[in-house]
Amino acid sequence: MATAVSSGPAQLTDRLLAPAWTPSRVWWVLFGISGAGTLVLAGAVAYTVATGIGVWGNNIPVAWAYAIINFVWWIGIGHAGTFISAFLLLFHQRWRSSINRVAEAMTLFALVNAGLFPLLHLGRPWFFYWLIPYPTRMGVWPQFKSALPWDAAAVATYFTVSLLFWYLGLVPDLAAARDRAPGRTRRRVYGVFALGWRGSGRQWHQYRVAYLILAGLAAPLVISVHSIVSLDFAISQLPGWHSTIFPPYFVVGAIYSGFAMVLLLLIPIRRAFQLEDIITERHLDNMAKLLLAMAWMLIYSYVVETFMAWYSGNVYERYTYLVERPFGPYAWIFWGMLTANVVVPQLFWWRRLRVSPPVLFAASLLILAGMWTERFIIIVTSLNRGFLPSSWHFYVPTWVDWSILFGSVAFFFFLFFLFLRFVPMVAISELKQQRHEASTAAAAVAAR
Amino acid sequence: MTGDGRRCWRDLDELLDTPDFREALGREFPAGAAELADGMTRRSFVRLLGASIALAGVGGCFERPRERILPYVSDSPESTPGVARHYATAMTLGGYATGLLVESHVGRPTKIEGNPDHPASLGAAGVYEQASILQLYDPERARTVRLGRAKASWSEIAASLSPARLGAAVGARGAGLGLLLEPSASPLAAEMLGRVRERYPAARVHFYSPLGSRASDRASLTAFGRPLLPQYDFRSADVVLALDADFLAGGPFSLRYARDFADRRRIAAPTDAMNRLYVIEPGVSVTGTTADHRLRVRAGEVESLAGAVFAAVMRQSNRPGMPGRQGIPDSVASVLRGVEPPPRHREWIDAVARDLTAHAGRTIVIAGERQPARVHVLAHLLNAALGNAGRTLRYIESPITEAGASSHELGPLVEAMRGDAVRALIVLDGNPAYTAAADLDFLAALGRVPTTVYHGLYENETARACHAFLPSLHYLESWADGRAWDGTASLVQPLIAPLYGGKTEAELLAALLGDAEASAHELLQDLWRGRMTGTDFAGAWDEALQRGVVAGTAAPETTPVWQWDAIGTVLSRSPPPADSSLELVLEQDPSVYDGRFANNVWLQELPDPLTKLTWGNAALLSPATAARLRVATGDVVALAYRGRTLRVPAFLLPGHADESVTLRLGYGRGAGDETLAEGVGANAYRLLTSDMTMFGGGLAVSPALGDDGTPLRDRLASTQTHWRLEGRPVALRATLDAYRRNPAFTAPERGRVLSLYEPRPAGGDQWAMVIDLATCTGCSACVVACQAENNIPVVGKQGVLDGREMHWLRIDRYFEGSVEEPAVLMQPMLCQHCEKAPCEYVCPVSATLHSPDGLNEMVYNRCIGTRFCSNNCPYKVRRFNWFDYNAEVAETERMAKNPDVTVRGRGVMEKCTFCVQRIREAQIAAGIEGAATGEVRTACQQACPTRAITFGSLNDPGSDLVRRRAEPRRYAALHELGTEPRVQYLAAITNPNPELPRGNGGE
Repeated sequence: MATAVSSGPAQLTDRLLAPAWTPSRVWWVLFGISGAGTLVLAGAVAYTVATGIGVWGNNIPVAWAYAIINFVWWIGIGHAGTFISAFLLLFHQRWRSSINRVAEAMTLFALVNAGLFPLLHLGRPWFFYWLIPYPTRMGVWPQFKSALPWDAAAVATYFTVSLLFWYLGLVPDLAAARDRAPGRTRRRVYGVFALGWRGSGRQWHQYRVAYLILAGLAAPLVISVHSIVSLDFAISQLPGWHSTIFPPYFVVGAIYSGFAMVLLLLIPIRRAFQLEDIITERHLDNMAKLLLAMAWMLIYSYVVETFMAWYSGNVYERYTYLVERPFGPYAWIFWGMLTANVVVPQLFWWRRLRVSPPVLFAASLLILAGMWTERFIIIVTSLNRGFLPSSWHFYVPTWVDWSILFGSVAFFFFLFFLFLRFVPMVAISELKQQRHEASTAAAAVAAR
Repeated sequence: MTGDGRRCWRDLDELLDTPDFREALGREFPAGAAELADGMTRRSFVRLLGASIALAGVGGCFERPRERILPYVSDSPESTPGVARHYATAMTLGGYATGLLVESHVGRPTKIEGNPDHPASLGAAGVYEQASILQLYDPERARTVRLGRAKASWSEIAASLSPARLGAAVGARGAGLGLLLEPSASPLAAEMLGRVRERYPAARVHFYSPLGSRASDRASLTAFGRPLLPQYDFRSADVVLALDADFLAGGPFSLRYARDFADRRRIAAPTDAMNRLYVIEPGVSVTGTTADHRLRVRAGEVESLAGAVFAAVMRQSNRPGMPGRQGIPDSVASVLRGVEPPPRHREWIDAVARDLTAHAGRTIVIAGERQPARVHVLAHLLNAALGNAGRTLRYIESPITEAGASSHELGPLVEAMRGDAVRALIVLDGNPAYTAAADLDFLAALGRVPTTVYHGLYENETARACHAFLPSLHYLESWADGRAWDGTASLVQPLIAPLYGGKTEAELLAALLGDAEASAHELLQDLWRGRMTGTDFAGAWDEALQRGVVAGTAAPETTPVWQWDAIGTVLSRSPPPADSSLELVLEQDPSVYDGRFANNVWLQELPDPLTKLTWGNAALLSPATAARLRVATGDVVALAYRGRTLRVPAFLLPGHADESVTLRLGYGRGAGDETLAEGVGANAYRLLTSDMTMFGGGLAVSPALGDDGTPLRDRLASTQTHWRLEGRPVALRATLDAYRRNPAFTAPERGRVLSLYEPRPAGGDQWAMVIDLATCTGCSACVVACQAENNIPVVGKQGVLDGREMHWLRIDRYFEGSVEEPAVLMQPMLCQHCEKAPCEYVCPVSATLHSPDGLNEMVYNRCIGTRFCSNNCPYKVRRFNWFDYNAEVAETERMAKNPDVTVRGRGVMEKCTFCVQRIREAQIAAGIEGAATGEVRTACQQACPTRAITFGSLNDPGSDLVRRRAEPRRYAALHELGTEPRVQYLAAITNPNPELPRGNGGE
């Protein structure tokens, strides 16, 4: 790695911690906007809980809509962080160090958002805990044949492991922040969160082991969470849901949208904090390649799904895939989705476009929108025209649906801006270690 | 308690309970709308009204009537708390009574069912009858006597109506007195009216109903010189020709006709015989969808086609082996000899005539109420020519008071009012200010009458225009009587003491005679004491109350005396000139009738059988006409008819006649106390003129433009937006021929499907249902029955638009074939109680699961509302409580709830339970006696006029259910999914005439 080491390790630490000490005016503005959006979310949620989910556009037959779309979308986005951290760590992809912290934080915040929706979408959200298998005197348990209790368990597990993984990775950096923070209060707060990290050899050893174990635990969860989420649909018998390709299809789509979100966040950060030397062109290039790879796996899923619908000869499957989606009332959303998810990533066959931040930024935005509409297509266009033509009904979201969607995006950024402000946004210790290893390797080469 | 103490309190009680005391109370604690401050919403207003009445204890909601009433005889005489009792009574609509059984819980009527002993019901109940329970509890019903703008008491009103005071105003002979009533066959009303006429011989007594058929009475007067009423026996008819007659739905005797007609359509085996129905009509009626051949023509063409049928039948009859003239003189037969149908209908008319003649003596020709007298005369003639009289139909004297007399015309009364000849007008029920023909301008005429009194359930448009208002009593609070279409008399007994106070019609008429304290109960007993046969009046009275019919009162058959000269004259009068202009057809609404039920939310939300529209009406027109006029469904059009214009959204109805627009009456109600009705839909009465029967040519239709010049659109709340079956095996049908050739045509759609799961254990009771699509007419009686039985909420127009209607049982309507001449399929769709239910395994909390006796059960308490079950239900019969729908129900309306069924709260799923409360009740009763569970009847099954729904246990080998399930045409909807539903259908079978190319039967 030909990184220009312009400064020593101590300077690097200072530079990466600086944003935490002195927030810029831009930060305040963005924080304010996302905070206002969060208030919109809170208002819409309060209104929903107080009045009933009838304030949404849902109906019979479209009993699931925005809440579940948002849930699947956010949880999909929440896949990239752990994928980058765990998989790339296990595969010794060292370039991940520059971006894993942001990606993991993004994962957590996406999961917080995702966790909101399964609760909110219930008719009686105050009984959400009935989904959890806890022992009661009445001996009533969730029904394990349904995918939903598994879903709740999978999401909760994934959130817990992701949080632990992120926090464990943070500990050495929190210690660094403790050591350098201006003012006693901050030092104390960071000190509490640093859990007494001293940086001794023994601590480093145990840290490494724990981190690797957590990575090993997290990696299969990346696969399992969205597989189980996909079963929410696949175990049904509804045309458009009832499909065995759903687990891998959902995982691929999830990682795809997650990478898009990571890029969407990294590109402005890289620019704002002048981190071009840390988040280099190589990072962008690699991420774009991953996007392209995921896009092709997704295309494969689309093709197989549609082919199987035709090949099955089943009149309902054929109607959903070959009539309703491409030519039905939501066809414009379907074709928009294909444009965003299938056509746009083909740009990344060219290296020039892969390393161009504006192109990447725009493409990520489109892919994120495309992945949201993909869930809209899967959920709404399967439900609105089911088996009995007599029950077909159109679905239109209400202002509350839109408020909750955009409010949740605002909430996500609200949490993210808090993260930028208070937590080291790059894995400083890992980066320093890599630089050290790189420079000693360079010295060795020079000495030879 | 000592006798004295009890007595003391009873006296005080009675003192407190006098109506005048109640009115005094009312003045002290005003509950009326006028006193309320502005800024109050309708909802809180209604709630307050309801609460005030329930909490203040005015009226005593759970009080029994003071007089002795008697429960239906099948119940044990001892009352068991918690056990519902049934009382027989009757509801009068359109002048004729239908016998009912009313379920009552501790003195609180909750549900209306048909009386099996009554000839107009035979156990079935229609939508109006069943929904009338909600009208009883309507918090917007009038509750105060009003004189001018001030609150008054009954005694004040009665005093002003007494002969001493009224006589002074209207003259001793009553020349200035006008009485406007609804046509009625009630003996008590006739008796009281007779007495009023004795007292005021010069009084103008008139009867008006917008839907009343003066044409059929005129036709009878012409043909027979007397107002005879034909009584059809559809059980004996092989071939039926309906001339714009919707005899299967909506009419006074339609429940019975539907039952008899269906008895000839229900075929147990392919070899069975089946009747055949031809319908000529402009719109698409319930009867039309049942027809084997339907000819869609403009209403104005029916007359000439009826003549053509008659001419063709006369030609056919003279052939060898045919029935001959049947005594029809040549002078009559020859009048129409040369009449030929238009070439495009010729084949159809000839085939029908051949079919009719071939089945002479076993056919029925029936003319629709709105068709002119000439069509009715032709129907009489056709029945005579085919030898039907005495075999498939008999004639009786019309039971309607003064039937056929000029008192049934509204015009002369309005003329007199306008000429200041009427000094005092008393309007009893009805709503002429709203329903009278627009050109009569009833309101203006009413304004010229110095004293006007309205007696009705609501302060409606007419009441608002009258000086004095007196609340009337709902029939469930009244003593009265009535006669059915066939003349059978019934007593009307109250189920509950008046909720809001008021007087019956008889009591008001008695006040006119100076008896302000008369009680309807005594008047009724006095009347019937002289009429009931036998010496034991008390016994006969009790028997009549218990049975719901007065024995031996059915009208005797009378032999018509044909007035051939008059008939010849009517026939030779040249028919109206062929008119190709756009035609307006008005008709009774299948939900709100003539508008009187517009404040009834069950009926407002009841989907129209054909359009599936709720909460409003629309201009129905054929797709071809719509294309010519360049309008689409939802476009607001301006209907200009004889100088008056009405704006109403258009609705394209496949199968509607071209160049004809059907508009239903009863919507667009004006200002009054009925706030729910106000402004829903468009008021079609504004296009009604006094000279048209119910249709007329010369209509102009243009797109309505808004103030800014853009075309207006309106949102029509239809519960079914897709019309086609898309080739899916959901509602199956075949012709009788095809069925005979291949009895197993539904075999691929039934039987076990390969499955990984074990079959369900099958011991004990195993509940199942069979629905016969051959006899389902789509009348929707079952939908209301289900709503009443199971406490199903309404969601309002916006709720329907949002796709959130709550009906557990709906009727799916599919059109097949071309949009011009579609075949229509009706399919009741409810929870199919799948043995392998897709809803059950996806519920995360086991809130929906299977009972050992085969019910798919819903545990409301456990449901958290994930709605996954609904997503996975292929039949989409699950309903979700998006809001707390029951929070908005007024206190009085809560009394209509069935105490045996949970009222669901917000956020839970609900659906058809197979009336589990009735099953458990029967099982508990059987358990106590140690017997096998007896017959259980679901609410939908009970209400169905055609007995299309059969329910029972699969393990009851002698049951109807098992027998019907064994029919070859059984199938399961969406069979290939392997849900193994317990509800199975019998494919519809139609019986088209092989001579005609296009029948209503697929193929």
